[in-house]
Amino acid sequence: MKTTAFCLLSALTLVGCSKPDTLSVSGSSTVLPVVSKAAEVYSAQSGKAVIVNAGGSGAGFSQLAQGLTDIGMMSRDITAAERAQYPDVNIKAVAIGRDAVIPVVSSEIFDAGVTHLSLAQIAGIYRGDIQNWQELGGPDTDILVIDKEASRGTRHIFMQAVMGVKEPEAKGADLVLGSNNEEQTALTQSDSAIGMLSIAWLNDDIKGVTLSMDGPPIAPTLENVKAGRYPIARDLNIVVRDDISPATQAFVDFLRSPEGQEQVEAAGYIQVTK
Amino acid sequence: MLNSGAQIDCPQSPVKGRLFTAYITGSAWLSAGFAAIIFATLAVQSAPGIISAGGTFMSTSWLPSQGQYGMLPMIFGSVIVMMIAMVVALPVGVLAAIAISQIRSPKLRRAVKALLEALAGIPSIVYGLIGVSFLSVFVADIFDLQTGRVILTAGLLLSVMILPTILTLTEDAISDVPKAITQNAAALGLYRYEVFKDAVLPVAGPHIAGAALLALGRALGETMAVMLVIGSLDRLPDPIYNVLSSGQTITSKLGREVGESAFGSVHFSALIFASLILVTITLSLTIASQIIFSRRAKSSVGMRHV
Repeated sequence: MKTTAFCLLSALTLVGCSKPDTLSVSGSSTVLPVVSKAAEVYSAQSGKAVIVNAGGSGAGFSQLAQGLTDIGMMSRDITAAERAQYPDVNIKAVAIGRDAVIPVVSSEIFDAGVTHLSLAQIAGIYRGDIQNWQELGGPDTDILVIDKEASRGTRHIFMQAVMGVKEPEAKGADLVLGSNNEEQTALTQSDSAIGMLSIAWLNDDIKGVTLSMDGPPIAPTLENVKAGRYPIARDLNIVVRDDISPATQAFVDFLRSPEGQEQVEAAGYIQVTK
Repeated sequence: MLNSGAQIDCPQSPVKGRLFTAYITGSAWLSAGFAAIIFATLAVQSAPGIISAGGTFMSTSWLPSQGQYGMLPMIFGSVIVMMIAMVVALPVGVLAAIAISQIRSPKLRRAVKALLEALAGIPSIVYGLIGVSFLSVFVADIFDLQTGRVILTAGLLLSVMILPTILTLTEDAISDVPKAITQNAAALGLYRYEVFKDAVLPVAGPHIAGAALLALGRALGETMAVMLVIGSLDRLPDPIYNVLSSGQTITSKLGREVGESAFGSVHFSALIFASLILVTITLSLTIASQIIFSRRAKSSVGMRHV
């Protein structure tokens, strides 16, 4: 009797672990809203469970390379260094949407007049050369400079555009945070902060600044991103290994189907297959 | 080490008894083995990092993309956060335990203690969320800071988290002092506080210190809650005692970066070395206190029998 119970228990556990139609996805917290919305629809249709976890683009790649997840999410390209660390695995990126990284400020600062910033001014803030909002036409308050973890995709894109390097040292940083969620919370709590957020994460407490350029200024709007005018834009990728299973491939196809792309727009990003 | 403790000379046990003994001894060695394996793994895994970037470890700049792995800010952060937590929690915990142990009704005492022990059952992520949404905001308001995600907040949050450990174990230590000792002391005509100071404390002291050490270990090892409130900035405070600036601890660093670093890379290896430092700090504190207390216990036993 005891043995039977034990067998049953272990059988249940094994099935729970290696259920063939459970897909796991992990990585970028920027891509996550898209994939989790799409996963809901997909699960309802196909009856297959999809488990979506955050962790950042870097984690998405390394977990996929180590075989810990079926699909990785990355809000940036795979770096040469990352490829070099796993020479035996072949990994390809598939774009499922487009996004823009917006320099954002606390609403108090925005309302006090800092609505436009140039890329050089933003670089100055992150380098630590500009430390008070007064220097930028705002109130006499120190700037709370919110940076992100070095391997985050959002930071790579942002820093590439602002400082010209993907992983620069930011001497002006006051806080280093991780996910969009964490960054959003810190920006909301502060009344004098600057940070970087993906376009889908803006809200009433956090205002995206318009970029002053040599030509006409560019506002952080979906229209500008769609038209390719906004300079800090990127593809939202999922990454898969070349020995991909049919079940995984089916979900990838779904993400790029019109139905999957609807979820991209529902999450606040821009469709890629149009 | 395994043979210390109460030893009684018994006649040779039957097979059943010997099996039981072997099982017990085996379990003890297994636990010791785990500790050794963990330590060895950390040492082996950190070797590549030491070889290729060891020279940068004792600096202040952590820039994996440029091959710099300065660990001073996070080592400093771990130690200072632990110290703040202990300075706040130790007196409160010990004094509260004394107060509880002096409650005369056992029913009430158990109820109060159970309530405080419930604090220990709260998962650390919950403390972290409370820290981010309330404590850090309070700290920012009180000290008029731009952000409350600072070293002090992490220390204060940790002090609440380790309080139940100190409190429960201290109360146990005081309650476990044999009645004969306290009654004899009282019979000699000592005041209540003298009974406590001269009869209870000398016996319970080493156990209270053990409680403090366990709490200290938890303070050093806590990750999630600290990671959310400390600001994760790899920089030494300026000036160095400024606990109102953001910082980094070894655990918060590991929590944020281990998932991102490729297994086997220098980055990964450097993180492992950081955790080796953490384990070494905890271990040496444990050993040091063991030595101190075994000495003191011996001398105090001598005293009591005079």
